Amino acid sequence: MEGQKKKVRLYSLSTCAVCKKVKQFLDSQKIDYEFIEVDMLDSGEQWLTSKELKKYNPSGSYPTVVIEEVIKGFDEPLLRKTLGIE
Amino acid sequence: MTPEHLYEILSKYAASRGQQLNRDREFVIDILSGLLNNEERYGYRACPCRLAVGIKEHDQDIICPCVYKDPDIKDYGSCYCGLYVSKDWNEGIIEHRVVSERRPPERQE
Repeated sequence: MEGQKKKVRLYSLSTCAVCKKVKQFLDSQKIDYEFIEVDMLDSGEQWLTSKELKKYNPSGSYPTVVIEEVIKGFDEPLLRKTLGIE
Repeated sequence: MTPEHLYEILSKYAASRGQQLNRDREFVIDILSGLLNNEERYGYRACPCRLAVGIKEHDQDIICPCVYKDPDIKDYGSCYCGLYVSKDWNEGIIEHRVVSERRPPERQE
């Protein structure tokens, strides 16, 4: 899997106990991830980030983990696997 | 108010409704800390598992116990936050599933 890795982002709230459980899990697995505590952002950023979150999860619920696969070049087997195409 | 004090109060409230607090006390204390943080910053106990806007009229439905608690417990055995649960949920008789957000998306704008 050289040159390919998953990008992980955790949308979280500072007050949310389940969010902490997800964070602890990712930390325990030594996952490199972007951590966003939406309620701690200023109001403009909070609005924008909420909109961004709803693109991935229309219910806008917390915690939400977004895992993005980065695929370089035309790697058909990996594209098929990632896209769930037989 | 400390989370521990609130725990005692809400245990009694839950029992009065035929419900219970999640048996994971440490997890519940964490939720209650978030609830008290929200009370401090908004002036009311907005659900700590949802993004409040800080306007009471707008957040009315998610002031804990939220209006979605009872239907969530009926369908899942647990409220969205995992704070209030049914006896069967606590005893592992019913499966612990992720509770889908019941709050309409337009209320989150």
